[in-house]
Amino acid sequence: MSPLQQRIRNFCVIAHVDHGKTTLSDRLLETTGTVPLRQMRDQMLDSMELEREHGITIKARAVRMGWRDHELNLIDTPGHVDFTYEVSRSLAACEGAVLLVDASQGIEAQTLANAYLAVEQGLEVIPAINKIDLPNIDLDVVREELRTTLGFRRSLIFDSHYDAYKGVVAHVRVFDGALKTGDRIRLMATERESELLELGVFLPDARPIERLETGETGYVATGLKAVADCRVGDTLTLAERPAAAPLPGYRPAKPMVFAGFYPSNAQDYPLLKDAMEKLRLNDASLVYEPETSQALGFGFRAGFLGLLHLEIVQERLEREYDVDLIATSPSVEYRVITQTGAEVAIDNPAMLPDPGTILEIREPWMKVTIIVPTTHVGPIMELAQTKRASLADMSYVDPTRAMLKYDMPLSEVILDFYDQLKSSSRGYASLDYEFAEYRPAELVRLDILVAGTIVDALSIITHRDRAPQTGRVLVNKLRGLIPRQMFDVRIQAAIGGKVVASETVKAKRKDVLAKCYGGDITRKRKLLEKQKEGKKRMKMVGSVEIPQEAFLAVLRIGDET
Amino acid sequence: MTRGIGLYVHIPFCASRCPYCDFATAPATSALRGRYLAALAEEMLREGRALGRPRVRTLYVGGGTPSLLEPPEVASLAEALRRAFDLRPREVTVEANPATLDRARLAAWRDVGVTRLSLGVQSFSAHGLRALGRTHQPEDSAAAVAAARDAGFDVNLDLIFGWPGQTEDDWRADLRSAIALAPDHASCYPLELRLDPEEAVANWPGGGWRVLERWRRDALDGQPDERVVAGMYRQAERQLGMAGYRHYEIANWARPGKRSLHNLGYWRDREWLGVGAGAHSHLAGVRSANPTSLTEYLGKIHTGGARVIDTGADAPGEAAMLALRLDSGLDLPRYTARFGTAAAARVRRAIDEVAPARLLRITGDRVRLTAKGRLLANEVFIRLLA
Repeated sequence: MSPLQQRIRNFCVIAHVDHGKTTLSDRLLETTGTVPLRQMRDQMLDSMELEREHGITIKARAVRMGWRDHELNLIDTPGHVDFTYEVSRSLAACEGAVLLVDASQGIEAQTLANAYLAVEQGLEVIPAINKIDLPNIDLDVVREELRTTLGFRRSLIFDSHYDAYKGVVAHVRVFDGALKTGDRIRLMATERESELLELGVFLPDARPIERLETGETGYVATGLKAVADCRVGDTLTLAERPAAAPLPGYRPAKPMVFAGFYPSNAQDYPLLKDAMEKLRLNDASLVYEPETSQALGFGFRAGFLGLLHLEIVQERLEREYDVDLIATSPSVEYRVITQTGAEVAIDNPAMLPDPGTILEIREPWMKVTIIVPTTHVGPIMELAQTKRASLADMSYVDPTRAMLKYDMPLSEVILDFYDQLKSSSRGYASLDYEFAEYRPAELVRLDILVAGTIVDALSIITHRDRAPQTGRVLVNKLRGLIPRQMFDVRIQAAIGGKVVASETVKAKRKDVLAKCYGGDITRKRKLLEKQKEGKKRMKMVGSVEIPQEAFLAVLRIGDET
Repeated sequence: MTRGIGLYVHIPFCASRCPYCDFATAPATSALRGRYLAALAEEMLREGRALGRPRVRTLYVGGGTPSLLEPPEVASLAEALRRAFDLRPREVTVEANPATLDRARLAAWRDVGVTRLSLGVQSFSAHGLRALGRTHQPEDSAAAVAAARDAGFDVNLDLIFGWPGQTEDDWRADLRSAIALAPDHASCYPLELRLDPEEAVANWPGGGWRVLERWRRDALDGQPDERVVAGMYRQAERQLGMAGYRHYEIANWARPGKRSLHNLGYWRDREWLGVGAGAHSHLAGVRSANPTSLTEYLGKIHTGGARVIDTGADAPGEAAMLALRLDSGLDLPRYTARFGTAAAARVRRAIDEVAPARLLRITGDRVRLTAKGRLLANEVFIRLLA
């Protein structure tokens, strides 16, 4: 930064209507000598006739002032609630803000909202009290009000863990105010309150201390028992004097991809439930609710930000919580318009209403951006064609790299698209996507029947034209994945009860340890135990054992259809 | 110990190593044999003393290739046996390789009291023996049977089916050749190839797991289809059955009165002592085993041995599984009386679970494997284990 730049100050004045902002601005213009006294008129900056009429500022504008080798740029901002967008735009241009409060009125809601906006954007806020010469004012009260109200008492929860003795322990960064043991705290998103049992810092082991001050990072034992009540990204404030608005950062998760999670063994359901609760403590974007599958029993339908998120959650559950689980084929959220005109959100193919009652099914489409070396544009375009994608734009980032913009159904994006993209570009393509809109599509539910029974967890919603071929691929794939059983097992794919593909897993013919190893029963037993262990990892659907991989098969059919 | 015990003596030595074999085996150098027999004598004396010099009801000398031992070695083994045990057996079996038998050796074994010779024939075809990595010749088997008969021994023939490249005709011919020799007993094993180095034992210098693994992978590729192997098993049942052999255990057939008494002891969950490297024992409800490594076995024998107790044993499950291997099956009331209602309930549950596949047949108080059940016995067995 040049010495000149170091002496530039861009700032604004935040104040409620009539608290004297325009007057302060006028005095600044006057004091800095920007406008000669003889040219001064009231509301110097409110140039719009309308503004002068109403005595308010609508449009933001800026004026440069010189002061002691410094360049002061006063960016005037509207104060009214209707002009929040204007405010945020002018705030974005500032490094600091003067928070102006009328000594006789105290802090008003709109002032506070704008002050929070300023803090969120990282501005240095300098409070100032105006009209202190009015009669019947108590300056100390206003000062205290400013101090406490604008002290905010906000801490951001950036991580958390569950401790068997202390309950939920939140890892926080104090942004405003201070925290101390015994404070009654509130979590703003979940609206939970509790008493702060212990706080401390990591050195790197947890060491209790008395207070955490603004700017400090440490931990807070909330005493909360339900991990769902304390989410990463939430703001922790004081229950007595809660902050008016949370810190930016917490957004309720907006899941894009959904899948069922089921324990491999039904009796492990409480284990899975507990593991998911604990995982959600660390992952605010994980959302789920209980679900029941005819094939898999009790489990959960969980929503994820994307396929990678799904895989990470599954892996963490298995690795960190030692739960053997089955994830059903991922689905997007469909919007079903029924004959009666109602709109139903469906994130589980098994829940799709009777086709006769459906007027239309809409699916989410994404704006997909792919950056790829120009040498690989061809294969990427070919791949996109197989994914129902339409090219919206193509440009060049630089002479060697092209940027392709596609409109594409999310269901196609989550079906192995990323892996295929990588392999079509020797690993060089990068992918980004965001939600665009819901569009109607010719969609049907493809059911998989094993030994004559629909395995609801294997149902998928797919494009009508492609359903028969997908059915054939899936059935063939399952035939390879379902081990031989004691009897023939028929695997079928059906659309609305009509079978479109069928295969049979022939019964196994021989499975016996025949050799008698000199009385070595131990070895026999161990071999059988190993075999039994393998069986345990499979899911009994009716009398058929289906391995976990079968439920993932639906995931990996993208390149074969 | 009124009933007496079974005694298994393991002789690990082989002239060459069969690549499919997972038994404790070792090269037959004379120095190693001397040390081993001395250790064996010491172990027998100690175990015999610990058990109060029990009566040995059946004796089985297995291997390896016990028939490799020279007559003086056989005599010293006999001496050690008599010293350690009350040796009044109803049956004494010794395993033999068809190529290693001569009249002097047979005489030595007869002097020990051998009544039964178990011959590792495996196949009567040259290409079968080659496929299995066996070193004896097809004509050795008939000669060995004749010599055993001359010595007055009962004869068992071991056959292996499902070897790489074997056809159904090959197998029918092997069964015919076996029946033509009129043995008292026959064992037919499907070739079981395991790729677990833990199970394979390497007492052989230079011939480590990698060589075995390569052989086994190739052999697995060349094995007939599972359906064909199952058909071969059925073929054995038909051919041996028609020749008058009773299919009394999953892999064993016998003429009337010629079942292997020693092996019946295993399946009936009786007590036996095993001595030598890799030998297993079942005494007072406890299963234990000696180390399979010769070095370890020999190294620890002077300090009381290195017998390891099977802590994961599942007595009710194992007893049920063993009983079902026999054509006499499992006697439910007796099983319940011995192991209690919880164990019996597990058996009942297993019966119900496999019922649709018809693997078991219940007649009166007894449960037996069906013909299909014998081929899919593991499906039953895993359900019997805890």
